[in-house]
Amino acid sequence: MKNKQRMWLKRSVAGGAAIAVAVTMAGCSGGASAESRPENEIHVAVYGDATNKVEEQIVATFNETSDVKVVLDKIPGADYQQKLQTVISTSSAPDVFFNWGGGSIQEFVDADLLLPLDDFIEEDPGLQDNFLSSVFDTAVIDDKPYGVPMRGTQPVMLFHNKTVLAEAGIEAPTTWDELLDAVEVLSAKGITPIALGGADQWPTQMWYQYVYDRVAGPELFATALAGDTEVWESDESREALGMLSDLIDAGAFGTNFDSVKFTDGGSPALLRSGKAAFELMGSWAYATQQDADPEFAATSLGYTAFPAIEGGKGDPANIAGNTNNFYSVIKATRYPDTARDFLKLMYSDEFVQAQLAIGNLPTTTNTEEFLDTAANPDYSTFQFELVQDAPSFQLSWDQAYPPSAGTPLKVAVQQFFNGQIDADGFISAMQAL
Amino acid sequence: MGRPGFVWAAPATLFFGLFALVPLVFVVVLSFTTWSGLGDPKFTGLDNWVAIFDDPILIKSLGLTVLFVVLALITQIPLSILLGVWAAGFQRNRAVLSAIYFIPLLLSSAAISVLWRALLDPNFGIPGQLPWLFGDGNLFGKQSSAIGVLTFVAMWQFTPFYTLIFQGAARAIPPVLYQAAQIDGAGTVSQFFNVTLPQLKNSIVTSVILMVVGGLTAFDTVLILTNGGPGTDTTVTPFYMYQKAFRAFDFGQASAIAVVLVLAATAISLVLVRVSGYGKMQSAQDGI
Amino acid sequence: MRTRTNYFAGFGSALWLLVVAIPVYVLVSASFQTQQGYSAGGPLALPTTFTLDNYANAFRSGFGLYFINTLVVTFSVIAIVLLLVPPLSYAIVRGQSRMTRGVFQLFLLGLAVPSTAVIVPIFYLISSAGLYDNLLGVILPTAAFALPVCTLILSGSMRDITPELYEAMAVDGASPLRTFFRLVVPLSKGGISTIVVFSALQAWNGFLFPLILTQSESTRMITLGLFNFQTQYGVNVPALLAAVMLSMLPVLLVYLFARRTLVQGLMGMGGK
Repeated sequence: MKNKQRMWLKRSVAGGAAIAVAVTMAGCSGGASAESRPENEIHVAVYGDATNKVEEQIVATFNETSDVKVVLDKIPGADYQQKLQTVISTSSAPDVFFNWGGGSIQEFVDADLLLPLDDFIEEDPGLQDNFLSSVFDTAVIDDKPYGVPMRGTQPVMLFHNKTVLAEAGIEAPTTWDELLDAVEVLSAKGITPIALGGADQWPTQMWYQYVYDRVAGPELFATALAGDTEVWESDESREALGMLSDLIDAGAFGTNFDSVKFTDGGSPALLRSGKAAFELMGSWAYATQQDADPEFAATSLGYTAFPAIEGGKGDPANIAGNTNNFYSVIKATRYPDTARDFLKLMYSDEFVQAQLAIGNLPTTTNTEEFLDTAANPDYSTFQFELVQDAPSFQLSWDQAYPPSAGTPLKVAVQQFFNGQIDADGFISAMQAL
Repeated sequence: MGRPGFVWAAPATLFFGLFALVPLVFVVVLSFTTWSGLGDPKFTGLDNWVAIFDDPILIKSLGLTVLFVVLALITQIPLSILLGVWAAGFQRNRAVLSAIYFIPLLLSSAAISVLWRALLDPNFGIPGQLPWLFGDGNLFGKQSSAIGVLTFVAMWQFTPFYTLIFQGAARAIPPVLYQAAQIDGAGTVSQFFNVTLPQLKNSIVTSVILMVVGGLTAFDTVLILTNGGPGTDTTVTPFYMYQKAFRAFDFGQASAIAVVLVLAATAISLVLVRVSGYGKMQSAQDGI
Repeated sequence: MRTRTNYFAGFGSALWLLVVAIPVYVLVSASFQTQQGYSAGGPLALPTTFTLDNYANAFRSGFGLYFINTLVVTFSVIAIVLLLVPPLSYAIVRGQSRMTRGVFQLFLLGLAVPSTAVIVPIFYLISSAGLYDNLLGVILPTAAFALPVCTLILSGSMRDITPELYEAMAVDGASPLRTFFRLVVPLSKGGISTIVVFSALQAWNGFLFPLILTQSESTRMITLGLFNFQTQYGVNVPALLAAVMLSMLPVLLVYLFARRTLVQGLMGMGGK
């Protein structure tokens, strides 16, 4: 009996040790070697949302003729960046992945994980020439291209409810003062002037992006991002914060904005139901409203560029938002040629038309010819002109910074809006990023 | 002869060791490194430890964590004892009511958080319909009300479970004890305090341990309901650790925070185990 | 009989009933309304519209698959727990060696290791083993972290078996194996059903492990499905609540058909 038990014990221990060894070995070999990657397929990771139908269509088109098949991995939006960061240096990394350019891939480039696309472009110059250069440049890091634009550009615009504005007898504002006037009129009528999904934090950030750009020009943020954080203390910075305070104090956002979300449909519903008159939001808000109530989107949803600020340094034609999304390729990929051929589809007519049909605005040079085939030609044309005419396109602040700055940045943005910190507190928080 | 040896315990111990103890050692090691998940961790000595104890948000989060555990204890324990003792009666209507009380147990934390987030929307949820009760409905915009919401939702979620525990324990109390108390002339209230409560002691200790451990891991409810906000006003330590690890990709500092959490949890459990006498119950003879 | 009518407790129970019932009412009624109907009337209003679209919608967005994944994980976790915990508890209750006592202390301490705290190395471990984005990668740590509580419960329940019974088995010359299957398992059925219920709920409600250890649609579990449902652009509340309803359906079925076992199982967690 005792012997039998000992045997069992020995075996269990040996088994446990075997597992431990296997795990360690796998850990060592699990790195970047191409051989450990799946055969005859490449994985393409994308941000999971309504746009996926186009990606699915393009993948299907590609797989019709390719021997190496593309597998599309849709990763739910909320934790996309987290998933990417955790897998990208392991053997589970996707071959090609969606990103926002800029800060979102800087660290991967630094860690030597990404494939510079120069060789691809040498073989097919169209991979660069067929895209608007201001957009393509967002994914150029240290003078090397690392991404190909793959969705639509998403400028942030000021949306409004036409019915509410008409009833209040006001026009969509073109200047900051007109906006303040509109806020006063609407408040007096008991309407929340501006819907804000403050609980999500990033919608609040959009207000900073535009006011800072209008008051100080795009240079201030660029300087800060480059490491000279003194600029947050500048007069222009304080002036921008002062203007935001004026707007908040005038009751522009109501009192409960920090309990409202965009992502659960709260703030779009405020605009749609006429409980609020304006919402500053990315171009995707049109699709959000259309999904909820097509009638409203078609007849009552208005949109304008962000108002000009008189005396400000920034060009009123400047815009902010997501310049586009990009596909980047990892160095460890087993089939770089397949990846290259797949990327070529990102400027194909089929791609452009499919994106336009679902309301996205691609940034290829041939987009203009297809604008009349868009789901909503007026809306697409308005956006395209906005982007084409913009001297500067500010990438969303939280995308421009590396992920580690994301949480403190958004916390500061929220706290200044709800009064938990004052201008000095905001400035020192930004300097600490 | 006749008694089970260590072999009986070995598979479970190895399995648990691999997934809980080995990672624990890893966490301690990682807490002395800097690592973003890319490449290899680099040793940086005590840097993370200096950094986290200099971090006002961490200190604040520890206070918040304790606050949430205390709030959970003082709201859930009395309520579930009352409900459990009441439901331990055998009348028919109580069975039906108990079935309704039970419903939150059928829902996951994620489902419950999503449900309450929708219910508490200031404009399109219950606050919008009952302005006399909720004012402007800015429940998630102020620290006090955000803490209130989280405490309330935890109570909604877990009270049924603890009620069941106390219901079971109350049913197991020998009726003789009540009869004796009645002969001594004790009323309902006196019976409750002199017979019921002392008999529930073990269940109370178990519940407290479960609540404390739960409080130190609570993270999904915070993530979905408040995302730690407004600002950092509901950022409890486990959530802060999650943010450091999977939003900022600072696995080194996250690991240092994790070690703090483990130490706190261990210390609390040791105290509770000593108080409750769990640790002494090593053999059948001691247990009863 | 043993307590007289307790008005105070009765009143408290009625109040709590409202607190529980109102959200449940909103959940059920909203999930059958159109989005327009819901936003027009508000959550508390009597429904004016009726639709099954929300449920169809939830299924279209993949909830059928999430269900199956969650079931697979739940049953696997139960299986592992049933395989490991009863022998362990038996050894803890009846074993003599100092080692066995050490093991019990170890699991007591393990109770205090929050899964959140070790998630980083677990992530590393799982992805090194090639189990990232694989249901097995969720199953193993979920089961491991259910062990301490289950062990505590089951060894508590095994302690109720009187020493006389063990001695009787020993006199018959029974081996530990025989004692285990003939005496220990049959007499701790209550405790075993408790640990089944506990580990099933742990797996069913698990959030952290699926959140960190899986990514693709094909390995998504219900809890994550709900979380992602909420964070997608353009979500509407009735559809979300229909998904919540679906997520509780299997547990509801178990509850309806095995209510006694479930309730007894949960009651058992309090010990004696």
